[in-house]
Amino acid sequence: MTAVTEKPIPVERARPVPGRRRRRNPWTTALLYALLAVVVLIPLFPLYWLVISAFKTPAEFAQIPPTWFPASPTIDPTVTALTEVPFLQSMMNSIIIAGGCTISVLVTSIFAGYVFAKHHFRGRDLLFWSVVATMFLPPIVTLVPLYYLVSSMGLSDTYLGVMLPWLANAFGIFLMRQFIMDIPDELIEAARLDGAGEFRIVWQFVVPLLKPAIVTLAVFMFVYSWNNFLWPLSILRSDALYPVVLTLNRLMSYTMSFEYQNVVLAGALIASLPTLIVFIVTQRVFVQGIAASGIKG
Amino acid sequence: MTTLQTPPATAGAPAAAPRASRPARRRRGQGRWSALFLSPALLIIGVFTLIPMLMTVWISFHRWSMFTPITEMSWVGLDNYGRLFADSARVQAIWNTVAYVGLSALITVPLALLVALLLYFPKIKGKGVVRVILFATYVIPTIAIVIIWGNIYAPGYGPLSAMLGAVGIPAPGWLSDPSWALVSLVIFNVWQMLGYYVILLIAGLTQISEELYEAAKIDGAGIVRQTWSITIPLLRPSLVFVALMTFINSIQVFDPIYLLTQGGPANSTNVVSFEIQRTAFQYGMAGESSALAVSLFMMIVVAGAVLGMVMKGRKR
Repeated sequence: MTAVTEKPIPVERARPVPGRRRRRNPWTTALLYALLAVVVLIPLFPLYWLVISAFKTPAEFAQIPPTWFPASPTIDPTVTALTEVPFLQSMMNSIIIAGGCTISVLVTSIFAGYVFAKHHFRGRDLLFWSVVATMFLPPIVTLVPLYYLVSSMGLSDTYLGVMLPWLANAFGIFLMRQFIMDIPDELIEAARLDGAGEFRIVWQFVVPLLKPAIVTLAVFMFVYSWNNFLWPLSILRSDALYPVVLTLNRLMSYTMSFEYQNVVLAGALIASLPTLIVFIVTQRVFVQGIAASGIKG
Repeated sequence: MTTLQTPPATAGAPAAAPRASRPARRRRGQGRWSALFLSPALLIIGVFTLIPMLMTVWISFHRWSMFTPITEMSWVGLDNYGRLFADSARVQAIWNTVAYVGLSALITVPLALLVALLLYFPKIKGKGVVRVILFATYVIPTIAIVIIWGNIYAPGYGPLSAMLGAVGIPAPGWLSDPSWALVSLVIFNVWQMLGYYVILLIAGLTQISEELYEAAKIDGAGIVRQTWSITIPLLRPSLVFVALMTFINSIQVFDPIYLLTQGGPANSTNVVSFEIQRTAFQYGMAGESSALAVSLFMMIVVAGAVLGMVMKGRKR
């Protein structure tokens, strides 16, 4: 194989700098840890609240003041959430939709990013930056015509209709182009001299070097599509196709009554787990990739 | 003084390719491959982003009910825009959006900077784990976050009012109080997005050369002075980028408003994106909805231009 190694993006430098003294005042250390504790509690507390509430009985849930730990944890709310609405079916739908979008974005972005990074033609950079500009166009701005277009293709209320507008995007192309630009031209020249065609260059020589970028984009797109609410809400009618977020919305709206709030929270927990798990499994590479996307921008 | 120079953005790249020395030459037959490789992405973006954008502008000059065929659309010129600015609820939606975006940016950017500084400079254990935990909120579906925060804000059985009550502060009505509802939505927007921006800023911090700090220390500059004179100026690109991302993400806020407040109470959380969706999908008035969408788009263009100018002006 090649001599080029994957490029680690430094998220942390070995020696932090300002204010570094030979030995720190113990009070400073205590203060720093106290601040760190605050910083970590801010995200953790609501998540903690989600988990404990999902395991409370309705009676305990309604207590004023609230209890800070479930006295007799129960899985009843979870079971009710799973039986009240078709969560498992929705999980499959979300996996199909998010998975389809992710794979498509990866493929289209790698090929387009490769051209923008390594091919030369007139107007290339103008075209590239025009594509990047669409990154700043929120979907809500084009919602009405998009709805009209997709429904007049006869695709409303289909998997394809939910996925179609999200099968490629500017962020992915941008990310891939930035990473592919770091691959030396010599490598691609060498592959060409070996007689490799453009397809083989991409699949056999470029893709293996893009692992961090691919993981980052894959996780990013998966999370984005999994959490996308507005578009499925607009284009889907039948529950059988609902992704998890819409099913959770259904659960939320027809169990408005107070006694079922813990069921809704159990549903929220179920709906959050897949993306959280994907994130935790890939966090090392993903966080670095997101960091790199910022630097390279 | 030492020369004030930041390392190039590609520091740490593999044995850098002499890119500059290579003339942009075209290879025979490459054009076909360029076109083939670009076409899937460009086709999707063209058909599902560019064409709809043009259509939005076009529809905004028409009266068209979403419930009738598009052929029944009739030209009304700038009428929709005139009506937009005559409708006090919609004008308020614009101001609410400005307030929401402004508050989000004013809280998020400084807070993210402080957290990033804390998680980058001092030698303390557990920073890596904290980063990951901070980022985790970003991957949770907004609807789940809405449910969590709806419960945290809940009067009586919610933890927030219990905590405030314990220290003797009467809890505001949060989402049900017109003067607090928008702020409550800003709070959980900040909560959800903070980790993402912290990661971006930490990435920016890694690009600042250590030698600058060493030199400043020799000159007798303290931590505050170092932060003010070195960190913040050199972090400007990342700060502007984060400001831009905050802006773009918060100007399109829709999910929490649709799910939690439906624009209320008393129209206090009605924002443009919610109004766009409601006008089109509930009232069917696609023309007016599109006029709002174009206005939102113009807000983005103006803000983007201003940020761009800030970037250029400060660079020199």
